[in-house]
Amino acid sequence: MTDFGALLAALGECQVEYIVVDGAAAIAHGSARLTQDLDVVYRRTPENLDRLVAALAAHKPYLRGAPAGLPFLWDRDVLRRGLNFTLITSLGEIDLLGEIPGGGAWEDLQAGAIELKVFGTSCLCLSLPQLIRAKVAAGRPKDLEALAELEAILEEDGEYGVLPD
Amino acid sequence: MAGEANRERVSNDPVVEAYKKGIDRTLIRENLKLSVEDRFRKAMALAVFADEMRRAGREARTRQA
Repeated sequence: MTDFGALLAALGECQVEYIVVDGAAAIAHGSARLTQDLDVVYRRTPENLDRLVAALAAHKPYLRGAPAGLPFLWDRDVLRRGLNFTLITSLGEIDLLGEIPGGGAWEDLQAGAIELKVFGTSCLCLSLPQLIRAKVAAGRPKDLEALAELEAILEEDGEYGVLPD
Repeated sequence: MAGEANRERVSNDPVVEAYKKGIDRTLIRENLKLSVEDRFRKAMALAVFADEMRRAGREARTRQA
């Protein structure tokens, strides 16, 4: 099971710049759908890559689905050479995304994102309209039902007001 | 009402609209009453429950085989 709180706290402790997207963002907005992993769009500056490496290093990050024993070095160069990483850690599953369809990179998303204060830390999360745009842009048949729920939340709730805190 | 206004902002995709008819809005309304942190806690508790049900299902199928 992914410990969302522990993962968010680990990223927060190292001041990683990231935005929660996809299923976990949907949970923040009130979704009743289950999600297995924490998906985040991370900022790809050298400083932030170092912070990301430091945040997850103690939690044994490894490529999800890769054969056991495959060499995987967790460092800034690996992050710099790639873009999206699907990882398993001792805190659970986390997807690190350099950008998302319908939203772009951290720099494109951060102005419209909302701030969550959870588990003793704070982080950015896609707003409900951003989340809906990303789902529409992804265009995957499996997302249509999730999109229907997000639109229902938008209809049920106020303007952006799914945050009672 | 904001919810009414938001109806103009949705996709109006007929497939999405068809799926929407099957959405249990009572679950959404209950979630909207919770804090964000409690929404995550509820999701994690559901994940634990789902894991346990999968394990029990596997065990039951093994017994039947």
